[in-house]
Amino acid sequence: MRRSDLGEFEEVVLLAVAALSPNAYSVMIAEELEQQTGRPVSTGGVHAALQRLEQKGYVASGLGEATAERGGRRKRLFTVTALGSRILTEVRSVRNNLWDKILPQTLRPSESFDTANPDIHLT
Amino acid sequence: MKSHNPNQSATPPAPPKWLDQWMEWCCAPHLREEVMGDLHERFHLRVSRLGERQARNLYWRDVLTYMRPSVLKRKPSPYSSPYLLSMTMLRNYFKIAFRNLWKSKGYAAINVVGLSVAFCICVFLFLTAYLQLTFDSFHADGERIFRTYFFTSDPEKNTKTNSMPLPLVPALKADFPELEAARIMTGRKSLIEVNGKYFDKLATMTDPDFFKIFSFPLLKGNRETALRDINSVVLSENMAKTAFGTQDPMGKIIFLGNDSDRKQYLVTGIAGNAPHNSTIQYDALIRIENAPGYQGSKDNWSNDSHSAFVKLPAHVSQAAFENRLKAFTKKYFPAQLKELTKKGAKPDALGDLFAVRLQQLSKVHFDREIAGSKGTPIAIVYILMGIGFFIMLIACMNFINLSIARSFTRAKEVGVRKSLGALKNQLFIQIWSESTLICFVSFGVGITLAYTLLPEFNARFDARLTLDYLLQPGFIALIFGLFLLVTLVAGGYPAWQMTRFNPVEVLKGKVSIKRPGILRNSLIVSQFSMSTLLACCTIIASQQVDFLRTRPLGFDKEQVISIPVGNQVNGRQTLGRLRNQLANDPSVLAVTGTDVNLGRGKDRVSSRSTIGFTYKGRAVESDWLLIDYDYFKTLNIKPTAGREFSRAYPSDSVNKVIITESMAKAMGETNPVGLLFGDDSDSSHTKSQIIGVVPDFHLYSVAEKSRPISMHLSSNAPIRYVFVRVAPSSLVQSMDRLKSVWKEVAPQSEFMGSFLNENIDAWYQNEEMLTRVLSLAASIAILLSCMGLFAVALMIIEQRTKEIGIRKVMGAGIPNLIIVLSQDFVKLVLISLAIAIPLAWFGMKSWLDNYSVRVEISVWVFVAVGFAAILIALATVSFQTIKAALVNPIKSLKSE
Repeated sequence: MRRSDLGEFEEVVLLAVAALSPNAYSVMIAEELEQQTGRPVSTGGVHAALQRLEQKGYVASGLGEATAERGGRRKRLFTVTALGSRILTEVRSVRNNLWDKILPQTLRPSESFDTANPDIHLT
Repeated sequence: MKSHNPNQSATPPAPPKWLDQWMEWCCAPHLREEVMGDLHERFHLRVSRLGERQARNLYWRDVLTYMRPSVLKRKPSPYSSPYLLSMTMLRNYFKIAFRNLWKSKGYAAINVVGLSVAFCICVFLFLTAYLQLTFDSFHADGERIFRTYFFTSDPEKNTKTNSMPLPLVPALKADFPELEAARIMTGRKSLIEVNGKYFDKLATMTDPDFFKIFSFPLLKGNRETALRDINSVVLSENMAKTAFGTQDPMGKIIFLGNDSDRKQYLVTGIAGNAPHNSTIQYDALIRIENAPGYQGSKDNWSNDSHSAFVKLPAHVSQAAFENRLKAFTKKYFPAQLKELTKKGAKPDALGDLFAVRLQQLSKVHFDREIAGSKGTPIAIVYILMGIGFFIMLIACMNFINLSIARSFTRAKEVGVRKSLGALKNQLFIQIWSESTLICFVSFGVGITLAYTLLPEFNARFDARLTLDYLLQPGFIALIFGLFLLVTLVAGGYPAWQMTRFNPVEVLKGKVSIKRPGILRNSLIVSQFSMSTLLACCTIIASQQVDFLRTRPLGFDKEQVISIPVGNQVNGRQTLGRLRNQLANDPSVLAVTGTDVNLGRGKDRVSSRSTIGFTYKGRAVESDWLLIDYDYFKTLNIKPTAGREFSRAYPSDSVNKVIITESMAKAMGETNPVGLLFGDDSDSSHTKSQIIGVVPDFHLYSVAEKSRPISMHLSSNAPIRYVFVRVAPSSLVQSMDRLKSVWKEVAPQSEFMGSFLNENIDAWYQNEEMLTRVLSLAASIAILLSCMGLFAVALMIIEQRTKEIGIRKVMGAGIPNLIIVLSQDFVKLVLISLAIAIPLAWFGMKSWLDNYSVRVEISVWVFVAVGFAAILIALATVSFQTIKAALVNPIKSLKSE
């Protein structure tokens, strides 16, 4: 299984890349994650995670266009590779299998609400 | 969008500039574009969402999150980097280095001479300082060893004394059994007889705990039992060697002591010699019970006679033990406490009127506060180190100055090397190792110099440095550190400067370091400041020494010979015999004896005994001096009232005293002759009577606090010095004659006579030593600075050759040219004078404040030094300026 080398934060970032595609780059991903989780997410952390994902071959990157806010600098856009897609699907099926095995009475709704957001550790 | 910044309309909000620059510098070049872009975009998003202030706050947090290896790490260069240490390049470096040095022999010589002299001086000064700073540091558990002292909160003045009564240590041992404690009484040298041979050696009297407290090695014998018996003696290694030669001294019998105190001892141990940097010195160690008069005062709590050392158990702190000593003080010193309370004394901050306290062993050597100790002032040690650094610094500055100035001539080489692909690192290593080569040579020369000059230095400065100390690890580390520092600073800075040359500009012939003059000038200014500072200090210090020396002493020091009697013979008998022998000699005017030498004789002993009592309710204290008949005649002192001791009154030898005028004043008597002299409470009939008053005279150095003097003639006290006044005509013959007479009257004792005026000069040895060190340092500093100035002048004038030629063509005269060329240097000297003179004034003022009698600092010293400095600087550069001014302008303008 290759999945073991996918960290929790990396997984979220990879999902975000897929979700924001074709306009996924560090700032967008960080902002999106911040909005979704309600916790501060730094560009540096996202950038590092993207670098690692690229090294592992889950994402590919290319330079996009420049904007004024960026001081005329180009952005690096990321897309999920075939390997990345397969890993994401595998992760999802493992999760789904587990969810399916949970007996309905096990999760009490009032508590499950608090723990719905997985803890995202910023490196 | 809400705006928090009123300026926003004018300029769009931007992240902090310095953070941006920092990030640009940190980030690897290949990532710079995307990372900086991301940062800025996010910043703008946040400004529109949260406002500028918060965006800025978050910005630097964002920057911090980028500080990770993956961002900082540079992409490896796609081009192969040249091999740093290829054989061919190394050979080339050496070739170029030697060619360069050879081409500039003058500069290299100046650098080597300057640095090696500085290294040599540093070795001497640091060695001296090192020995002082490591005083007493060789004892294991040194931090647990303490010397006891008494603190008295006297209403007039708080006093601390380290002289202890004999019963103190036994009482301490009884009350605190866990404590190790020893009394140490070091007196004069004692006579030791071994197999019929006599030696004058230092017998230190102590307790059996001595070897438990201190870690002097015991080469033979048992640490536990060596001093168990009253008649045991432990000899030092040196003593054992001189007395017994190759024989084994263990178990042998020796005799120790003078006359009536002479006793027989059994050698029970051989201890290693006490190092020079030890407060406790000994040739032989015996039990303190053998001290003369021990039985009489062993239970007397008010007769202070020796120092005491204790070693605390490992877990007890000094403060805790001092606290426990409070009860001890109450138990054993009720009389002192009562008396102090009666006097109205107030407890000090620790709540004590009178206390036994502890002083750490490491502080003993430098102690100047506790009365009775003559510590080395620690300031002197720092001054020595400071001077060493000064001189080193001046030499380094010369080095830097010369290297930077020379770097312009090498700029082309750097340019060519760079355009051929040399890396900065390579260039740096090449140039830096050239300077390191020079440093290394100078270091070698300096150490050799130090080695050859060591005996000279020892003789001149009365130091006891040996090269063994050079090899101590601490000292090696110090010197090696210094060497490293010098190569880094003096070699590294110019090398770094040179590697920064821009090859294009250099090869075009446009060399530019921005305002190179500033660094060079500030280096020259600091050199000259240090030199003039040292020169001013030297002059003022020697003025003070002269002043002390020429102070009226109250007696006539000329034509008097002083002879230490030594322990081998009885002073009183010798004096008698000498008197008989010299009675009919016309060249001898007077002969007398005393127990305190005036000045410092060849035996180098000085002692002081004082007497203190309450006279009609006043506390009086004076020196207590034994004299013999004709003392005042010998020293040319005329009694102002009463009479001097005379053989015509047989009763003079008991209970009669002569006092000085200040003593009479202290007693509050205008006409004290005939009055009784002693404590109010003393009602016995043995009180002394005052029979005469003499003018004040200095029994001790003028620099020390002078006290009133009371003189007596007790026939049972030993005479230790003989003074002989000789006729003025034949001083040298008189000395020779005395020597031969001495051989007749005291054959066992070595003749150590010296003239009194020489002895008096020896009083000011410390001050004189400081003057000598300062003058040495000053002359070396001036020499080095001048060498530097000379070289810089040479360089500047070389650069200005064309200018001089043009000036000449336009009609400038030679004097004009010399003024133009010299005025820059004069300006620099003036600036350094302005820096140095206030410093010198302040430093010397605080030094002089230590003396009760002192010279006033005269303005003329500074004026003279200032003029001298300008003259020296002018003279140094004049050689170059005159030479440049005389050159035919055709030649200087033609050269291209």
